[in-house]
Amino acid sequence: MSDERAKQPPEISTSTISDEELAEVMEREKGELERTWARPRGLHGWLIDTDHKAIALRYIVTAFVFFVLGGIEAALMRIQLARPENHFLSPDKYNQIFTVHGTTMMFLFAVPIMTAFGIYFLPLMIGARDVAFPRLNLYGYYVYLIGGILLYAGFLLNTGPDAGWFAYVPLSGPAYSPGKRVDIWAQMITFTEISALVGAVIVIGTTFKMRAPGMTLNRLPLFVWAQLVTAFMVIFAMPAVMLASSFLASDRLIDTHFFNPAEGGDAILYQHLFWFFGHPEVYIIFIPALGFISPIIITFTRRKIFGHLALVLSLISTGFIGFGLWVHHMFATPIPQMGQSFFTGASMMIAIPSGVQIFCWIATLWGGKLNFKTPLLFVLGFFAIFILGGLTGVMLASVPLDLQIHDTFFVVAHLHYVLIGGSVFPLFGAFYYWFPKWTGRMLSEWAGRLNFWLMFIGFNLVFFPMHQLGLHGMPRRVYTYLPETGWGMLNLIASIGAFILAAGVLVFIVNAVWALRVGAVAGDDPWAAESLEWAVSSPPPHYNFHNIPVVHGRYPLWQAPEDAPVVRGLSTTKRETLVTSVLDAQPELRFEIPGPSIWPLMVALATGVTFIVGIFTPWAFLVGAILAGGALTAWFFGDPNYENRPGHDTEEKSETVVPPGELQPKEV
Amino acid sequence: MSTRTIIDVSELPHHEFDTYDPVWWGNNFLLAIETSMFAILIATYFYLRQNFTLWPPPVAQLTDTLRPLPELGYGTANTILLVLSCIPMVLTDRAARRGDRHFSQIGLVIAIACGVAALVLRSFEYAAVYFRWDSNAYGSVVWFLLGMHMLHLLVLTTECVLVAIWIFTREFDMKHRVDIVTVALYWYWVVGIWLLIYAIVYFTPRFG
Repeated sequence: MSDERAKQPPEISTSTISDEELAEVMEREKGELERTWARPRGLHGWLIDTDHKAIALRYIVTAFVFFVLGGIEAALMRIQLARPENHFLSPDKYNQIFTVHGTTMMFLFAVPIMTAFGIYFLPLMIGARDVAFPRLNLYGYYVYLIGGILLYAGFLLNTGPDAGWFAYVPLSGPAYSPGKRVDIWAQMITFTEISALVGAVIVIGTTFKMRAPGMTLNRLPLFVWAQLVTAFMVIFAMPAVMLASSFLASDRLIDTHFFNPAEGGDAILYQHLFWFFGHPEVYIIFIPALGFISPIIITFTRRKIFGHLALVLSLISTGFIGFGLWVHHMFATPIPQMGQSFFTGASMMIAIPSGVQIFCWIATLWGGKLNFKTPLLFVLGFFAIFILGGLTGVMLASVPLDLQIHDTFFVVAHLHYVLIGGSVFPLFGAFYYWFPKWTGRMLSEWAGRLNFWLMFIGFNLVFFPMHQLGLHGMPRRVYTYLPETGWGMLNLIASIGAFILAAGVLVFIVNAVWALRVGAVAGDDPWAAESLEWAVSSPPPHYNFHNIPVVHGRYPLWQAPEDAPVVRGLSTTKRETLVTSVLDAQPELRFEIPGPSIWPLMVALATGVTFIVGIFTPWAFLVGAILAGGALTAWFFGDPNYENRPGHDTEEKSETVVPPGELQPKEV
Repeated sequence: MSTRTIIDVSELPHHEFDTYDPVWWGNNFLLAIETSMFAILIATYFYLRQNFTLWPPPVAQLTDTLRPLPELGYGTANTILLVLSCIPMVLTDRAARRGDRHFSQIGLVIAIACGVAALVLRSFEYAAVYFRWDSNAYGSVVWFLLGMHMLHLLVLTTECVLVAIWIFTREFDMKHRVDIVTVALYWYWVVGIWLLIYAIVYFTPRFG
C-alpha cells in the first residue's frame, strides 16, 4: 500500500474512519444513492433504462430465446433426416431451416450471449458502477434485437435466407438467388455486427479505464482477460464480414461487380473476406467461454489457479493465431500450395495455447478436493467434448484429409464438438454458477445434474455418429438421402440423441422458472467465491458498489484484509464512477456516466429503417442518414441525465451536495 | 474499535484530456475498427486487380484503345485542402487545451468550411474516375473506397458542426473541450487515411 500511495496524484487524500462511523455515513447516503441510480419505471422507463445489468439480462434472455428457436430448427432437421427419403420437410424449407439455424446460433445466440456476460460482470468484477458507455450499450442491444426480428420475420414470411450461414457467392449472388432472401441475411449481419462492435468498444473501454484502485492489469481476473481478448478480436475481425455483406448487398441491389467474374469480380474474394472474419469468430465465441471456466474451477477447487500468467498468454496468443487460420476453410479452392502449408501449420499451432490452458486447468483440479456442483460438471463435460473436437480440428488441418471430407457430416460433427463443447457447455456451467447473482435464487442442484447428463449423453449421441457418416461420404446440407447409402441407422441414432439433448435444455428452462418462483435464497456469495461480484448483494444494487473497493490481489475477496481501505468521495447525486489509469489503476477522474435516455432507441430505429428499407431501395440510406443524424444530434444535446433527475439541477448545484464534506478525516 | 483507511477522491477532476478520458479511448477504438475496415478494403482493391491485365481496364475507341487512368485534378486539390485543413484543426486542438474559447470557435468554423469544401470536391472526384460503380469490378471498388472515405468526411464535418454549435450557444466546459480534442484526433485520422487512399487510387495504376 505504502508505495502505491506515494505514486498517487496530489488530489487524493487519505484518512481513517472507524467501521461504525463508516456504516453510519453509508446508511445516511444510501437513500440518495438509490434515488440517483434508480431505474426508471413503466414501459417508457423500460425502453430508456441504461443499467448494464438490465441490458445484459435482456441480451441473455433474448439470445436464449434465439438459442431455443435455433434448437427447434435443429430438431426439425433431425426429424427430416431420421430416415431415408423422408418427406417431412420440402427441400426449399430444409434449405431455409439449415441457413436460419446456423445464422441464429452464430450471430443471434453465441456472440451476443458471450458479450452479455461481459456487460453484466465486467463492472462488477472490476469494481465499477456501470460500463463506460451505457447509452451506446443500450443502442447495441436494440440494434441486435432489430436484426434478430428481421431474420425471423423474413423466415416466417417464407423469405428466410437459404444459401447457408456463410452465403457463398455465386449461389447467394443476384444470378442464382433472386428475391430478397439473401438480402435479409446480409442486413441481419450488418445489425449483429454493429452490436458486436459496440459491445467490444464498451468492453475495452470499461476494462481499461474503470478498474478499482489496486486492480492492476496483473491482477485482472481471467474472465475479464478473456472478454478483453475477445473484444480486440471483434474489432479486427468484424469489419471483414461487414464489408463482405455490404459488397454482397450492393452486388444484389445496385449492380456492383465485386463478386461477378464476368466483370473482373471474384467469388473467392468473398470466401476470403468471410473467413477472415469467420475463423476468428469461432474464437470470439470460444474465448469468453474459457473465461467462464477459470472462475468456476477456482471456486470449486478452492485453489488459486495454476499458471495464471500462462493462461493469460494462451488467451492472447489464441487471439493472434486465430487470425492466421482462415484459409483452412478454403482448402477446396485453388490456393497456392505454399499457402496451404502455411495455414496447415498455423491450424496445428492453435492447439498449443489450447493445450496449455487445458493442462493448467487439469493441474488446478489435480489432487484438489473437488466440490462436484453442476457448474463444475459442465466444465468437466467441456474437457471431454472439446478435446475430441480439438482432435478432429487437428485432423482437418491436414489438406489431403480435409479435401476428402470437405462439406461432409464429419465437418458438421467437428464444428459442433468445438462450439457446443467449447462454448455451450461452459455457458450452461456459467448459468448455474451466476444465476444466483442475477436473481438471488439458487437453481436446483438435482435438476442441474439431470440437465447435465441429458445434455452430455444427448450431445454425444447426436454428433458422434456424424463423424462416421461423414467418413462414409454423407454430404452436409442435403435434405434427404437414399436407403441404399446405408446411412439410415446412424442418422436415426443422431435424431434420437437430438431429443435427449433438447430434453436437457428443457430441464434447464423448467429449473430456471422453478428457481425464480421457489428457489432457495442465495445470499451474496453462495459459493464462497473470490471475485468482486460476490461482494455485493444478489441481485446487485443498481449502483453496484456503494464504496468502490480497493483490490489487494488476484483473488480480491480471498485476499481482502479485515480493514481493507475503501474509496470515498464519489457523488451520491450524480451517476459518478471512478476512472483509473490503464496499467496501474491509479484513480484519475470522477467520471459522470450518462443515465437513461430515449435516444439510443431512436438511433437504433433509424439504423433499422436504413438497413431494412435498404433491402429494397438505395435511397433508404439517404433517408436513414438524415434520421440517424437527427437522433444523434438530439442525443448529443441532451443533458447527460436529464430524464433521470427532474429534481436535481446541473453542475453547480450538485457540486455542493457532494457529501464527502461530512467525511472529514477523523483519527480514531 | 477497528478503523479503515479512506481514499478520498472527491477532489479529482471530472474530465481530463487524452488517455484520462474514456471518451478518448472509445473514439480511438472506433478508429481502430475503421482502420481495419479500410485495410481490408485496400486488400480487396489489390485482390481484384489480380483479375485484370490492365488496371484500370482499357476502353475500346474507334481507332485506338484508351487506358482511362483516374484524372488527378480534383483528387489532388482535395488532398492539398485536407492536409492544409489540419492547420486550423491543430490550432483548435491547442486552443481547447488551454481553454481559449474564442480561438476554438474560429478554428472550428474554418475546419468546417474545409470539410464542406472537401465534400464538394469529392463529389467531382467520382466523375474523374472513368467508370461507374456498375461498370466493372474496378469501378465498384474505387467508388467504394471514395465513398467510404466520403462517409467519414461527412460524419466528421457533422461532428464538428455539433461541437461548434455547443461551444457557440452553450458553455465552453471541460467535457466539450475534451470532445474538441477527440474530434481533432478523428480529423487527423481522416486526413491520414486519405493520403493512403489517394496514393492507391490515383498513383498505383500509374506505376506498375
